[in-house]
Amino acid sequence: MNPFRDYLSAVWNILRKDLQVEWRGRQGVPVMLVFSLLVVFLFNFALQLSPDLQAGLAAGLLWVSLAFASTLGLNRSVSLEQENKAMDGMLMAPVDRSAIYFGKVLSNFSFTFLVGLVLLPVFSLFYQQNMFKPMLVLVMVLGLGAYTSLGTLLAALSIQTRTRDVLLPVLLYPLALPILIAAVESSRSILAGQPIADYQSWMTFLLAGNILFTAAGLMFFETILEE
Amino acid sequence: MTKKPKLLSLLDILCLILVPGALVLILFFTPIERVMGPVQKVFYFHVSAAWAGMLSFLIAAVAGGVYLSTRKQKWDWLSLSSIEVGLVFGLIAILSGMIWAQPIWNTWWVWDPRLTTTAIMELIYLAYFILRSSLNTPESRARLGAVYAIVSAATVPLTFFSIRLFRTIHPVVIAAGGSGESAFNMTPRMLLAFFVSLFVFTLLLIDLVWHRSRLARLQAVNRGEGV
Amino acid sequence: MSAQPSDTNRQIVVNDLVKKYHARSVLNHLFITMDKGALCILVGDNGVGKTTLLRILAGLVRPDSGEIAIGNSSSSREPQHRRMIGYLGHHSMLYQDLNAIENLTHYARLYQLTQAEKIVSESIQSVDLKNSQYQMVRTYSRGMQQRLSVARSLLHDPEVLLLDEPYTGLDKQGAQFLDMRLQSLHRQGKTIFLAAHRPHRLLSFASHVAWLKDGAIAEYSPVQDIPGHPDLAAYLQESA
Repeated sequence: MNPFRDYLSAVWNILRKDLQVEWRGRQGVPVMLVFSLLVVFLFNFALQLSPDLQAGLAAGLLWVSLAFASTLGLNRSVSLEQENKAMDGMLMAPVDRSAIYFGKVLSNFSFTFLVGLVLLPVFSLFYQQNMFKPMLVLVMVLGLGAYTSLGTLLAALSIQTRTRDVLLPVLLYPLALPILIAAVESSRSILAGQPIADYQSWMTFLLAGNILFTAAGLMFFETILEE
Repeated sequence: MTKKPKLLSLLDILCLILVPGALVLILFFTPIERVMGPVQKVFYFHVSAAWAGMLSFLIAAVAGGVYLSTRKQKWDWLSLSSIEVGLVFGLIAILSGMIWAQPIWNTWWVWDPRLTTTAIMELIYLAYFILRSSLNTPESRARLGAVYAIVSAATVPLTFFSIRLFRTIHPVVIAAGGSGESAFNMTPRMLLAFFVSLFVFTLLLIDLVWHRSRLARLQAVNRGEGV
Repeated sequence: MSAQPSDTNRQIVVNDLVKKYHARSVLNHLFITMDKGALCILVGDNGVGKTTLLRILAGLVRPDSGEIAIGNSSSSREPQHRRMIGYLGHHSMLYQDLNAIENLTHYARLYQLTQAEKIVSESIQSVDLKNSQYQMVRTYSRGMQQRLSVARSLLHDPEVLLLDEPYTGLDKQGAQFLDMRLQSLHRQGKTIFLAAHRPHRLLSFASHVAWLKDGAIAEYSPVQDIPGHPDLAAYLQESA
């Protein structure tokens, strides 16, 4: 058997299982979606935002609501594995344990990305500007990719503590800040209609974040989970 | 408990002489800066404290890595101590920066990228202590603390790279920040005092971390956890 | 001392195992060697470290020091090596929102079993859950979950079985079923290491008893030789 193919199939099996659980239980995406909308509404009242929001504010609001909402999904994703210690079952499977990490990152990414895709038309409607731009979707892929690959690692870490999932935001937000800054900055430029040269360094930055955090997950996921 | 090493006693004495020595050098030896006046003298200890803070966080990450490969408690004590000392140095850097900013920028705080990211860095390492305190066994505190210290240090270059990007995009905002650049317009006397401060703070850092590590060991022994 | 089994008949070899929690040694220089085909009951008081020992053998807990060999290699951290081991712990390792078939299919895929569908179906049949195989595990009783867990741990036909209090939650019928299942696995030559704080129902068909006491194996004896170990015999009498 080809070890690389085995590895990919293990990643896919874990992703497929998460999709199945989500499809059955529907406890991740809907909760994240509702929560992200609530954040949008709260900010509107708190900051008295107008419908013709500047590109900068809309981009910031989009990422803040995504960042808040995805912690719910990340926590759900690891608590699902801890509920009956299903994680032990995966740890004992004859696959490299980093495959579990990749599988979980991919499922977390898919769920948050789905929420992001739903938010785009909603934002377009609320703030009277077309947010459905291919480049913005690309920024979302890169930004959420980096965010969830760090988030999955830290969620696995925080679930081991006495306070369990409460700790995740405290660990995740400050560490993810550079990613969020880069995502907001490039989204802002895209919404303001600036040429690609203005924000491509931010996009490269997001790509670097993806590589860095994925490498960290690859290195430390097993260390975090073993007792 | 092992006897206090001679080298540590020597280091204590050196710090006791050199820290006031550096202060004397700064107060009486360096010229008064033409534009900013006497408040510019904050700069020497400000940059040195920031340097010592960064160095401590780096040491913490390296010690964490050594802990993960050797699983020897002393490396965890070193990592923990470095972060604690680094937090204090970081706080000194921020507070001394505020003292400088008040007359120069006419405000204690501006939302400049460098200030913001430094503050966030403090939060990252504050979260380290929350993480540790919510873990039950000394072994899990050491293991997960090490992972967190390494991942945190890995985001530091990311953070500083993001400041650089801000520069290329908004050169005007940044012009106000960063006394670091002026280091190269300094007179020879200023340069001398600057490098002496850096050196003294590095010694002080080693001295404090060493003491704090020994204390950590004593605490562990006291709780019946140490060797 | 190497943990390499000296002859092919050795299936589990543990050398000088140490595991500490809070600087207290739960397992303190533990040695045990188990032959292929043994059905060994691990007895000992609650909290003595039976679970820790089994979890270390299963590769879920990292020992502080010591060597472990399972099967013919000591590279127990090698992923493919884990295929040899089936482990049943205190938790079911099942997903509440999936049904029995989906749960087992997930594990069958992780173990890359060929003919997964057939194996899963037979496995569910064997634990008598055919009638509720499409129900979510959330709706299962404790006993049903435990039976499905047994099926899960046996799914990939492992050579070595590590069972931690497998009778927990089983009703009389379920317990009898597990007795029979264990006996048939024993006949097939599987190596079974089973922790039980009430070992009596197992003594009639087990081959060995290991007594974990003060972090080490105090006694390890074939069942028929128990009368020759008065301390162990007394302990077993006590825990009846």
